[in-house]
Amino acid sequence: MDPRKYNIYFHTHTISGIIIAALLYVIFFAGSFSFFKDDISAWQKGRSEVGRQFDPPYNHLLDSLSQHYNLRGRNFNFYLLRQGQGTYVDMTASQDTTVSKPKPKPKKEEGRRRRGEDGDAAYFRYHFADKTAGDYSDSYDMAEFLYRLHFLAQLNQVGVNIGTPFGYLVAGIVAFLFLFALITGLLLHWDKIKSNFFLFRPMSKWKTVWTDMHTVLGVIGFPFQLVFAVTGVVLIVNYVLLTPFANLLYDGDSEKLYESLQYNKTIKVDYTYKPMNGMFDMDAFVGKWQSEWKNSQISRIYVRNYMDESMQVSLEAKPNPDANFAGSGFVTVNIANGKVLEQKSPDTDGNYIDAVKSLVYHLHFGDFGGKPLRIVFFLLGLMGCAVIISGIMIWLVARDKVATELRKRKFNFWATNFFLSACLSMLPVTAFTFIMVKMLDHVNQSVIYKTYFYSWLVLGVYLMILRSLPRMNRHTLLLSAVLCLGVPIANGISTGLWMWNTWQQGAFDIFFVDALFLVLAGSCAYAYTRVNADAKPFKVLSLRKAPEKVLKSSVVK
Amino acid sequence: MPANKKYLTKSPWLRLSKILAGSVGGYAVMMSLHLFFTAFLPKEYVIITACFTGYILWAFLLLYAFIATNVWRVWGLYILLTFVFALPYLLKFNLNYGS
Repeated sequence: MDPRKYNIYFHTHTISGIIIAALLYVIFFAGSFSFFKDDISAWQKGRSEVGRQFDPPYNHLLDSLSQHYNLRGRNFNFYLLRQGQGTYVDMTASQDTTVSKPKPKPKKEEGRRRRGEDGDAAYFRYHFADKTAGDYSDSYDMAEFLYRLHFLAQLNQVGVNIGTPFGYLVAGIVAFLFLFALITGLLLHWDKIKSNFFLFRPMSKWKTVWTDMHTVLGVIGFPFQLVFAVTGVVLIVNYVLLTPFANLLYDGDSEKLYESLQYNKTIKVDYTYKPMNGMFDMDAFVGKWQSEWKNSQISRIYVRNYMDESMQVSLEAKPNPDANFAGSGFVTVNIANGKVLEQKSPDTDGNYIDAVKSLVYHLHFGDFGGKPLRIVFFLLGLMGCAVIISGIMIWLVARDKVATELRKRKFNFWATNFFLSACLSMLPVTAFTFIMVKMLDHVNQSVIYKTYFYSWLVLGVYLMILRSLPRMNRHTLLLSAVLCLGVPIANGISTGLWMWNTWQQGAFDIFFVDALFLVLAGSCAYAYTRVNADAKPFKVLSLRKAPEKVLKSSVVK
Repeated sequence: MPANKKYLTKSPWLRLSKILAGSVGGYAVMMSLHLFFTAFLPKEYVIITACFTGYILWAFLLLYAFIATNVWRVWGLYILLTFVFALPYLLKFNLNYGS
């Protein structure tokens, strides 16, 4: 390869990589655990959702709502949970001004309307099996936390006001730079792809180990990571593309653009103030369409102008990926006269837009191959973490030469020290928070935030002041082993759902999370014994003494 | 072994110019290319396809700004390409009637 190009690939890869390293690690780590989002949620609530079959009790829900609210003329949006075990419900104030009695709004508050603050509107989560409602913050669990952490949603709250959620934007930039780093990395390694495909020399010096790890795992994981980089950008900051398209091709009407891409449907129905005759049996209505679309799952329900003569109900459905990989369907019905206003079957009427969107969603969420695929994706995700860590190590070792100024070497060491302590502390901190949510009486969003972020800060600072990367590694491994082992134990003590019980009950989602942490604990314990036996000294700050052999021989070429 | 400095840009302004050419210029070329396709194909299909092709193309165009020997030529090329690709849109030329 032309040495000029080679060095440019090298440099752009290094720079883009080191900029995003720590954040990308957070994204990969939290994202990998998010493949088991449903299991973690079931684990925390101690309520297995495996194999439950029941009809969602919408009538019961509306009935109990009507005891607190006058429902006439309201709009409802139901966002069903993926496993169909519950739904988020968004209820607006009534269109009927005799019901909603709108007050003149103070003008100041207009900019940002937070959900649930508009008159007597409500937004809550409803669980079908035990017919209970909870608000968002109370139903917030570790699954939601890790899921949102993987696109840095928590960063939105730091108070940087740039007109778009700050955390999402950062996550988007990281994802795009990741895509860039993937491409430059592949080109950089291009000549050696074939010869070095399986080259791994664990007995060699550390720099070789890290380089091999970085390139081999990077190349093998490349297709997976490319898919996640691209779909990640699409899912988090697609407005970068869509806003200009809306301006150029849809006269700035982004609603129209989203509609033509089948993202959302605007249903505008004028309120008539004439009450509808008869009753509305929502269970029967939803059940009818569910049996019509056998291979699909209803994902959203929109009710407009409840019990008004103009009342309309829309359903949206997604096909089960094993029956039909790409597709989406909807139906809108005028309830008063039973007329189907528009309809598209999720099972048969898939089009090109469905195909592309399904590709993005299914590939990113890994929801098309059951648990085995999720486990493979989880491992590939952790492999991404290993590539990032080894990348940071290469970055350090390559710059750690006697000829380099001490000032620079110190800076490099502290940068690496910071990155690694932030990254490596994630596993013990995650396990610790898993234990705490089982030990504390009342767990909600702010409890999880405090437990996770403060323990992360404390452990991160502690690891940094060790000022020694091997010691940091040993401490995190030991801590991870102990804390991961504590997860199934904490679950057993607090709920009695020991692993043998959940196995017997068939609560495999709860069992799986315990088993996962047990395996993690075992791997960490094994790694700890190995590292303890083999770890080579690797201290940069003490280099006033004789420079070590390892460092000297790292001058390659 | 970090990259050999001999092959890298030394002037910070030149480097900034490359970054801007690659990101801003690359973005403009990528957008206008997809805009070009909307003159012949249904626009919503082009837009949804851009979810994949757009970002990958943009990343490559960003890289090209670093690879090219003369960044000012890259600026010229990107501006020219953007203009050419945008021509059907600017002239309101559209073969794909119906959308």
